Amino acid sequence: MNQQDGYADDIVKGFVIWSMVWGLVAVLLGVFISFQIAFPQLNFPPYLTYGRLRPIHTNAGIFGWGIGSFMAFFIYITQRLTRRSLWSPGLAKAQLWLFNVVIALAAVTLAMGMNRSKEYAELEWPVATLVVVLWVIFSVNIVMTIVKRREEQMYISLWYILATLVGVAVLYLVNNAAIPVSLTKSYSAYAGANDANVQWWYGHNAVAMVLTTPPLAIFYYFLPKATGVPIYSHRMSVVAFWSLIFMYLWTGAHHLLWAPVPDWVQTLAMGFSVMLIAPSWAAVFNGYFSMNGQWHQMRENYLVKFLIFGITFYGMQTLQGPSQSIRTFSAFIHFTDWVPGHVHMGTLGWVSLVLFAAIYYTVPRIYHTEVYSIPMANMHFWLVLTGQLIFSITMWIAGVQQAAMLNATNPDGSLHYSFIETLAELYPYWYMRAAGGVIYLAGLLLFLYNIYKTITGGKPQAAVQPA
Amino acid sequence: MDSASIYYLGVTLFLFIVFAAIVARTYRKAHQAKGEEPKFRMMDDDEPKKKDRPE
Repeated sequence: MNQQDGYADDIVKGFVIWSMVWGLVAVLLGVFISFQIAFPQLNFPPYLTYGRLRPIHTNAGIFGWGIGSFMAFFIYITQRLTRRSLWSPGLAKAQLWLFNVVIALAAVTLAMGMNRSKEYAELEWPVATLVVVLWVIFSVNIVMTIVKRREEQMYISLWYILATLVGVAVLYLVNNAAIPVSLTKSYSAYAGANDANVQWWYGHNAVAMVLTTPPLAIFYYFLPKATGVPIYSHRMSVVAFWSLIFMYLWTGAHHLLWAPVPDWVQTLAMGFSVMLIAPSWAAVFNGYFSMNGQWHQMRENYLVKFLIFGITFYGMQTLQGPSQSIRTFSAFIHFTDWVPGHVHMGTLGWVSLVLFAAIYYTVPRIYHTEVYSIPMANMHFWLVLTGQLIFSITMWIAGVQQAAMLNATNPDGSLHYSFIETLAELYPYWYMRAAGGVIYLAGLLLFLYNIYKTITGGKPQAAVQPA
Repeated sequence: MDSASIYYLGVTLFLFIVFAAIVARTYRKAHQAKGEEPKFRMMDDDEPKKKDRPE
């Protein structure tokens, strides 16, 4: 473990590299399954079908790329904000091994069709048990580092990190409660509408505790580092944090509008979802106000471009999300292609842009080199931005058209279009989505090459470099 | 409304009061300087101070 600088950064290197590997797998699979939808003859049963590959795509993206890089940056950030070396580098090394074993096992078992049929909680109980062990190891290491901190007050990123550790633990344990009937099969501990309610309490709060609090921790840390200027208001970030935590856990039932769960639960979820605009936009404004007098850096500093576009997509995501949770709008766009458009603005736009910036910032520092090519990083930015916008905008338009067709009725009240007619109209949009995915993939490959060259062939760092 | 619903809403109300107390504490005048301190201190954590190195 390289600790001559006081921080255990070798382990950060491991997590960064492996998260990029899983990120590539996720995007490759995403592009492939988008082609499978556009060209159904590309489905090759039993293993290479959309049904088997889609959960591998989401698991590789959310858990491999997302959680993998969050682990890297939580370790990197926590050490610096506490001014302590990691509590146990050895434990973190074991965590890296276990993380890769879990993701590989997830890919293999899902390809074999072992699936609990719960979105984002597909893994069967033996793999899910390993996930729990992994999370306990990770949490203990981070919490102990924070407990032994040399800073009296905790910077906002540490609050978000702690929320992630606690939130994921609670959500995962409750929703994965199951009764195993064999090594490869289990049944949920809940039944019927209760099962759906618990699943979507988990499902939406996975968005909170995996796709919101960790990127916010990373954003709040790396924006001031990239610009060289502190965030606008730490107190505002603290209030936004607590209001986000207060409101988020109530919103899951907005996935079950018009479903047989109590009406007041649906209304409460809808109300809290709309209220969530306030804390979400407090973070967005904090980011924007932090740029006061620094907007020229959008032109000059590639890291700032990633981060500010990232937080902008977060803002758009947190306006679109609450709109979708309103009963009438939900009735229109639910079960349409609008939804993947929304989700991918969050994952490709918000989360991944912030992670790209964090990797560009961190890798040269922990490898003591300089970024191989800033023009290449700029090209990467424009490619992933273009790819993501083509994907999302195409899906929003497709979703509206699909919803309009599904809801169209004749004067006698019968449906105007058959279901297959609504699907046939979507092919042009599916071709566009696949094209957007290819552009995104091209940007990702450029990024990986740039990072590879930074690690292996980058110029040695002359001094502590400005962003 | 059954007792479960009242309990659910009661917990919500309790948490809201806790949240309101956090807001009041964070924004009280006496806390202003201390509340903003971490954002300045985090700016110089790239290189650990001598005293921060492992014993």
